[in-house]
Amino acid sequence: MTSTLGRVVNFPVRDTATRAGAVVSRAAADLNASVTRLTDEQSGVVDDWGRDPALVRAMITAARMRWDVTVGGDQRLARRKGALIVVNARALALAPVFSAFALSEAVDRPVRFVGRPDTAPVGAFVRRIGGLLDHPDEVAGALAAGELVIMGAEHDQRLRMVGRVDHALVGAAVAAGVKVFPAATASSPIGRAARLEIGEPSRSPRRRRGPLTELELADQVGRDIGLLLAEMGDIRTGTPLDWLPLSAIGGA
Amino acid sequence: MDLTDRLIGSSGDDDGCDREQRDRVDRDTDGHDPGPNHRHERDGRTNHRTAGGTSVHGVAGKRVFVSGVGGELGTTIAGLLEAEAWVGELSGIDADPPRHRLQRTVFHRIHPDEHDRIVETVAKFNPHVLVHVGVWEPDARAAPHAAATLTDQAATSILGAAAECSALEHVVVRSGIEIYGRSRGALTRPSESAPVAPTSDWGHTVAAIEHTAARVGARVGVTVGAVRLAPVLGPHVPSPLGRLLRQPGVPFSALADPPFAVIEDNDAARAVVAAARTGLAEPVNVVAPGAITALQAARRGRRVPIPLIGPEWRVARALSFLLGAPIPDHVSEALHRGRLADNGRMHELLGFTPQHGTVDVIDRLYHWPSIIHQPARVQVA
Repeated sequence: MTSTLGRVVNFPVRDTATRAGAVVSRAAADLNASVTRLTDEQSGVVDDWGRDPALVRAMITAARMRWDVTVGGDQRLARRKGALIVVNARALALAPVFSAFALSEAVDRPVRFVGRPDTAPVGAFVRRIGGLLDHPDEVAGALAAGELVIMGAEHDQRLRMVGRVDHALVGAAVAAGVKVFPAATASSPIGRAARLEIGEPSRSPRRRRGPLTELELADQVGRDIGLLLAEMGDIRTGTPLDWLPLSAIGGA
Repeated sequence: MDLTDRLIGSSGDDDGCDREQRDRVDRDTDGHDPGPNHRHERDGRTNHRTAGGTSVHGVAGKRVFVSGVGGELGTTIAGLLEAEAWVGELSGIDADPPRHRLQRTVFHRIHPDEHDRIVETVAKFNPHVLVHVGVWEPDARAAPHAAATLTDQAATSILGAAAECSALEHVVVRSGIEIYGRSRGALTRPSESAPVAPTSDWGHTVAAIEHTAARVGARVGVTVGAVRLAPVLGPHVPSPLGRLLRQPGVPFSALADPPFAVIEDNDAARAVVAAARTGLAEPVNVVAPGAITALQAARRGRRVPIPLIGPEWRVARALSFLLGAPIPDHVSEALHRGRLADNGRMHELLGFTPQHGTVDVIDRLYHWPSIIHQPARVQVA
């Protein structure tokens, strides 16, 4: 008995009827997701992805000491459906993490973020606070189940510039049939003030039948985040630090 | 050439399963179907059709064969099948007798290594639907090596024998979510489309069963459904995970303590019966909603949680083995790397929802009574 045995299992391809069933199933999952409320989550257990509600509540409380996040645009998110939210990220800013915590509180739903390592103990801890693996299938599974997922664009050292958006993860959202929302984050390494602004869902500039959809959509999301950052303006600390051009204060 | 190859390769000339007969049945079914009543009349069976009582096959009175009917899961499945209106004759096979009284299931007690008797029994019954749950989880009822051998023997003999039967239309096999493996970077909740990459002995075993069934299905042209069960727990189900969690002290990984999901035996049986009824033709994950970690389970059961980091796991395994709860590699893997699966398609494919969530099953695990010693009414010695 070798490990290669199971890899050649080929089951018949699903037909149209089963695809239609999948849509029904997805709708049912959306309904289930709508039942889960942050305030209703049970303590002492973890959810389907290993997120620990009690630990998340503790982390949200702890995060308030570090970040005072103002959330805007959360009304654009559907109440019952999954969505992929793409945020800009600066190195060590933990933008997806504080965004997930803040958005959880704002919409009273569990919000997961992409980018947990798969090594203990860090990976295990990040999974407990809602982290997902940086893998398209993992993200697609969560989105198809009606979950809100936040992913970060690649870090860009230049201020107020958005790094590359992983098109494979955006493709997961396309495959799951959920919207992709751009979101701008702004935080300061020395202050508590932070902001998360969610924009209108991004749309691919052209209708494509193949994988170009996700490539172009990912590029569009990056551009939309850039526009949101421009609309947000600079964060003011009220100190002479604001006068410095490279103070590392700002969204990107 | 293993037994399956020999059996499949020689199809066409065996007694009762010849190609001519198969072609005749196919013609009757595809081209000039005389209708279910005529077919049943011809076969000399009673039609059990009732309102809403037919399967997706469209015909009541199907002959269903259950392998592994002596186990707790197999017995429960047979009991549920007896209540299904689309099921006509019911027969089963196992090395051990059924755990409960079955009303109309004909039981054959045959050891998995008796290939000839198995082939003769299955071919004589000529089932329409084969439900193969004759698998041995390592350290459940047999040691890992013996379990793998028995499972392989049973799968080869029974699936191979079923392939020789002209009436066979559908095969359902019991599999497990261990088939996905838990290597580094593996998905947290793999769906049915995730690659099959087992990393434990049990995972390899269920992958081999699915492979054999799929190969048989492809060669004889029948649909094959694989029910990938989460670890099955129940009051009478021999489960290494259940035994471990019921010990006074429960070891857990202090660094990871990952989540896992389970399924109760009745829910698992209902899922297998639903797969047979609906003619499941692809794999499906059957997992109770929710998840729990070993530490949380120990706390809920008021057991003493024992945090372990690394080297002491070897000692813990040895001690647990001596205490009667060996920890096979797939259970150890679940405690270190977790064991979850996406059950999003379960309702869509089977029309089935588990009655108990994972946390509920774990709570019930701790409420099941231990061994109750009944004193003899009459002292004879």
